[in-house]
Amino acid sequence: MIYFDNAATTKPSRSALDRANVFNQENFYNPSTLYSGGLNCAKEIKTSKESLLKNIGAINHELIFTSCGSESDNMAIFCSVKRGTFVTCKGEHSAVYKSFLELKNRGLNVEFIDLNPDGTVNVDKLLAFAKTNKIDFLSIVHVNNETGGINDVNYIGKKIKEINAKTTFHVDGVQSYGKLQYKLGKEIDLYSISAHKINGLKGVGALIRKKGVNLSPLIFGGGQENGLRSGTENVFGIKVFEYTAEEKYSNLKDNFEKVSKIKEYVKNNLDKDNIITISGENSSPYILTVSAVGLRGEVVMHTLETEGVIIGNGSACSSKNRYSRVIEACGYSSDVLDGVIRISFSTESTISEAEILVEKLNANVKKLKGILS
Amino acid sequence: MKNAIIIRYCEIHLKGRNRGFFEKLLKENIKRSLKDIKCDFVAMHSRYLIENFDDFDYDLIVKKLHKIAGIHTISKALVVDSTFDNIFEAAKSLVNEKEGTFKVITNRADKTFTPNSMETSRLLGGKLLETFGGKISVDVSNPSFAVYVDIREDGKTFVYTDIEHCISGMPVGSAGKGMLLISGGIDSPVAGYMTAKRGMKLNCLHFHSFPYTGEAAKEKVIELARKVGEYNGGINLFVVSFTHIQEAIHQHCPEEFMITIMRRFMMRIAERLALQQGDQAIITGESLGQVASQTIESMTSSNSVVTMPVLRPLVCFDKIDIIEIARKIDTYETSILPYEDCCTVFLPKYPAIKPNLERVKRAESKLDIEGLIEEAFKNIEKYTL
Repeated sequence: MIYFDNAATTKPSRSALDRANVFNQENFYNPSTLYSGGLNCAKEIKTSKESLLKNIGAINHELIFTSCGSESDNMAIFCSVKRGTFVTCKGEHSAVYKSFLELKNRGLNVEFIDLNPDGTVNVDKLLAFAKTNKIDFLSIVHVNNETGGINDVNYIGKKIKEINAKTTFHVDGVQSYGKLQYKLGKEIDLYSISAHKINGLKGVGALIRKKGVNLSPLIFGGGQENGLRSGTENVFGIKVFEYTAEEKYSNLKDNFEKVSKIKEYVKNNLDKDNIITISGENSSPYILTVSAVGLRGEVVMHTLETEGVIIGNGSACSSKNRYSRVIEACGYSSDVLDGVIRISFSTESTISEAEILVEKLNANVKKLKGILS
Repeated sequence: MKNAIIIRYCEIHLKGRNRGFFEKLLKENIKRSLKDIKCDFVAMHSRYLIENFDDFDYDLIVKKLHKIAGIHTISKALVVDSTFDNIFEAAKSLVNEKEGTFKVITNRADKTFTPNSMETSRLLGGKLLETFGGKISVDVSNPSFAVYVDIREDGKTFVYTDIEHCISGMPVGSAGKGMLLISGGIDSPVAGYMTAKRGMKLNCLHFHSFPYTGEAAKEKVIELARKVGEYNGGINLFVVSFTHIQEAIHQHCPEEFMITIMRRFMMRIAERLALQQGDQAIITGESLGQVASQTIESMTSSNSVVTMPVLRPLVCFDKIDIIEIARKIDTYETSILPYEDCCTVFLPKYPAIKPNLERVKRAESKLDIEGLIEEAFKNIEKYTL
């Protein structure tokens, strides 16, 4: 099976799993306990935090482990700023988007800023809004998970703070951490990351907080993570996260170039008569979103699956929520929205797999168009 | 003192010489349903008894009995050796959890038991009032609960306070066999439940259109069939690939007749499979006028390709009533999952509401009907649920 849905999840790193296995077997203790085994686990968690922060140059920050990126986003949105005006964009992952809808339901001021056609936030509109409204909390995705569009979050942070230094700025970095060369900007207050998008395990995420930024717990209990996130830590999952991130960051530039070449190959060799590219020129090399215009993305996905290639789809056969909310906000027409397909790469992807993908995708799209025309 | 569940049936009483057949079926259905639970089944006159079960399993047994067609009511009873003191102790433990008005109803099959029924009721009522005075009072005409005392000939007495209504109907298997056309929607599982409740043993048939619909849509239908199967003593689900038939209709027939012709193919396949399986009827979830394919003209068109009876238990039901039953039988939440059983790719913008049969036949004549059906039968999948 050839796997090109790495923005959904990635295959866990064998070497990271092997290295961390000691925390499944010998060193299985509860990190909150006071005997040496437990203390050792607590120390290991501290090491992981330092390592994960260092990868993005976060020297004035702390890291709170959570169960996933969605939990990190929810914690940032519901547990830092309690009132005022909350702003995000129309291209956010559901974890942010639906949390903002919930804020709206609770009676808070909420604003969704428009997107550019590549899925990035329209910065001019954002800044214009910021100049006429006092933004208390802003959340912007770093890499749009559906188009791969990269928001220059450090620039946005700088500009927003120039207008209102008191704005709390959260960035959803789930699709960028371990993939892009990036140093966390000093204007960013909160940054969400997730392990399973970079060959770690599902069930481990983290929220990075700039020191001094107000934050209260989402989950109460035994007081782990300095009281901010209770619940016995998943030591094994955390160590796998540390190790896989270490692997990614030790080869970040090479990985970036390798994946860029694969993406370029696919993009350049798709049948342009039947498939259009939605991802912009400067999008993340890890995500290529296209549309088999006039077809249904889900149908193309199923067809390719029978031929051993897994891709993602942005449009379902369901009549409810048929289109991707995000791609729709990019301004595309319904026949383009119908055919949305997301091809997403990992450091394990190869050119020869990409060749097979291109061949099968082109052939099947052509065949389906023939049947359905 | 031990626990027992009394099971009563209703319509079977109306049967004459065939009564034994219905009783035997119901008995078998109950025993099959409870086969994985440690308990004893006792057949009594006009009712059954479940006893010697672990109290932990009580709720599970009740849940299963609520899914067996033919059971009218059940009661959780305490069983004691027939002495007045024992009966009082049992009644006391039941009334302890009650409040409001009550009366005692005694049925004395063992005529050697003294005192007699009226006297037992009176004495027991008096002692209960003495014990729980203030919390309960007597009202023989409209009590909020009753204490039932059933003194049997074998020296045992049942004492109970509650009568739970079950689904009634007739034992599954007593009314022949049928083939249910099941989609991923709300209606067809309800139609299946209603037919099974009237005693028809069901098979299910689903049309799958991979790649136009995905595995998730099929899994949803499997789950729905399994839920209908709980009322049917298990169920067989047949899945037929409909892809090539849909493609052929799409390519060769006018768009407005897409659904009409699809329905005709579904009926033909259903009848053929039903005959193979020994089924005597086709069951659909159609409700008059609900969608374009469910007008009387559309039903006439689909009926005209089969000779087997087509049962449509929901034909005069409003959607809201169907949803209510779907919620009751726990299929609703599965039905509304967003995986469609028939991809909207093939749905015409303006389907024919009153398809003209002659025009439909003419449109259909461009297709190799027999060839397409043969092909569909080659890839049939069977799930025993």
